[in-house]
Amino acid sequence: MIKLLHSDLIVFFTSIGVLLILARLFAELGKKIKMPVVMGEIMLGIILGPTIFGSLCPDLFSHYFPKEGAVKIAMDGITNLAVVMLLFVAGLEVQLQIILKQGKTAIYTSFTSMIIPFMLGFAAVWFFPNMFNFTPDRKLAYALFFGTAMAVSALPVITRILMDLNIFKTKIGMIIIAAAIFDDLTGWLVFSFVLSLMGQEGEITNIWYTIGMILGFGLFMLIIGKYLINKMLPWIQTKLSWPGGVLSICLGFCFLGAAFTESIGLHAILGAFIMGIAFGDSVHLHEKAREIIHQFVTNVFAPLFFVAIGFKVNFITNFDLPLVLIVLFLAMVCKIFGAALGGYLGGLTRRESLAVGFGLNARGAMEIILGSLALNVGLIDSKMFVALVIMALLTSMISGPLMRRFLN
Amino acid sequence: MDLSKLKSRPAYPFETIAVAVSFSPRIEAVLSEAKRLSDKLNANLLLMHIGDKTSQKETILENLMKKLAINEHKYRVIWMDGEPVETILKLCKLNIVDLLILGALKKENILKYYLGSVARKISRKAKCSVLLLTEPSIESNQPHKIIVNGVENPKTINTINTALYISKQYKVKEITVVKETHVPALAMTIADESTAPEKSKLRKSLTEEASQQLIEVIKKCEKENIKIKEKIVAGKPGYAISKYSREKKADLLVVNSTDIHLNLLDRIFTHDIEYVLADLPCNVLIVHSRVQEA
Repeated sequence: MIKLLHSDLIVFFTSIGVLLILARLFAELGKKIKMPVVMGEIMLGIILGPTIFGSLCPDLFSHYFPKEGAVKIAMDGITNLAVVMLLFVAGLEVQLQIILKQGKTAIYTSFTSMIIPFMLGFAAVWFFPNMFNFTPDRKLAYALFFGTAMAVSALPVITRILMDLNIFKTKIGMIIIAAAIFDDLTGWLVFSFVLSLMGQEGEITNIWYTIGMILGFGLFMLIIGKYLINKMLPWIQTKLSWPGGVLSICLGFCFLGAAFTESIGLHAILGAFIMGIAFGDSVHLHEKAREIIHQFVTNVFAPLFFVAIGFKVNFITNFDLPLVLIVLFLAMVCKIFGAALGGYLGGLTRRESLAVGFGLNARGAMEIILGSLALNVGLIDSKMFVALVIMALLTSMISGPLMRRFLN
Repeated sequence: MDLSKLKSRPAYPFETIAVAVSFSPRIEAVLSEAKRLSDKLNANLLLMHIGDKTSQKETILENLMKKLAINEHKYRVIWMDGEPVETILKLCKLNIVDLLILGALKKENILKYYLGSVARKISRKAKCSVLLLTEPSIESNQPHKIIVNGVENPKTINTINTALYISKQYKVKEITVVKETHVPALAMTIADESTAPEKSKLRKSLTEEASQQLIEVIKKCEKENIKIKEKIVAGKPGYAISKYSREKKADLLVVNSTDIHLNLLDRIFTHDIEYVLADLPCNVLIVHSRVQEA
């Protein structure tokens, strides 16, 4: 049995402590130059990971961040916990009523900003497979993944940009938020489907089983589950200790949801995400409790996850310029065109439509989580992973200035 | 059907008040409320029953009208067969009804909530104002605490003015206009990128902005001698005002009619008026502003 020895524990706690403190410092430095927090965390990962620190001091690097053994297993456990919790908090903010409320423009924008990038991304892999590196038997899964990677948006980065531009509560701001929520929801549903497809490609029965299970679990949680949560939350928030009670119950259900979907052949992230939607939709979840859950996950577990991104691969040796440019070009053109088209059809002016397109172009943390999971299951290679991370960071950085330009 | 008369009709005064008569145990209480309101507002009363016209029902209704001393020149009864919701809505349009009064349960069971009761379905679709009475009373019970939704919407001025019109008839001296502040994804946005002073500043600016918007709306209202109190509450639209009305033990909550066609999805992903309809905090008046719609 693999067990953490005394020396392993010292390494484990030291590396976690150093990562958390440095991640915070890098995040704060990044904030000073208007970079998303996640950018600072990934930069730290690249510096401390095999790209720089690992190359310069390989012995020290492998001592504190070993590639195998008990410490590595423990670190992997933490990043798995982190990704499940990140999806839970992403789900907390998926409020589909915002799309319903915003009406025609939001529905058009949501739909086209998802479907056009998805279809173009899918078509790029399907018709030009030579541009990408994948095993032929996984063509469908790879094409579905790439379509999803082109379609997903990053709600946290987008809301921050809208807040900085002071257009959060305007019509344009709400349309962007509504579309980002829709893109997140459909993106994660499709990605869960892709992960479930791995290893069973072409088996139609399994495909329909997977689709049925995803929809069945989603509908059950959003109708019956939400009803039970609405009954349970007021009791938890008044009878149990505050805020500890609600924090432990919410996260407890997040992990149970993750365990359930994993056990029925879907990925754990789906259970956590849908559980997040069900809890987040409840009016009984106090804003303060919601904020505490976010604080806990985004400041403790998220930094460890995003720093670990930089540990996964060597960003210099796996930097493939043509691939990076292809991914960047496809991601930006598909998303900006798709979102702007929806906005224009929904009644916005050309400039407003383009501003919506640039707003939704920010991929941020969601794209990186998506890429990381795909790399873990062996769907994509390190070069594609690096290209996706670079695309996510660049699109997040240029969205704000471009939006400002078109709104002015 | 000539709808031109309907489209140009203002939200108030209420000249024709209709009541859906269901011959339930609450029939006398609902009719009493309708009679008192029509007397106060000097409106004509239209009683609508969707179902068979039997001599027994006619007798019950005649006896009730006598008991409640409803002037026979000021009311009409329409008997009609058909699907209740669509027939009532059609009759309201045909008769240019300004206000439809319905008895409604405070809360329905989960199945009925998703399927929709007659009262809820009419509330979602009606092209006239609707008054939902949760606890109709035979005895006089005039409203004292009136709460109005001050949501940012062109219809809101008409809704506040309608609440003021009713308040004037009932000699209510003060009404409260409530604006809800809710910023989606705010918790997520400020979780890792904002310092404590930044958070407080942001929250304060959101409240101030909402308060300023509300003051601007109230300035344009026909207040006369009625005092309007402003209140900003944080929470999801519809739910926050519902909760506030319940806490304040309001007698009447006045809200805008919906701008969109509501369906099952709006009940699954509840928002705005659906929160109010899901659990009525008190009597609810849904004001339909035809002028804005035209």
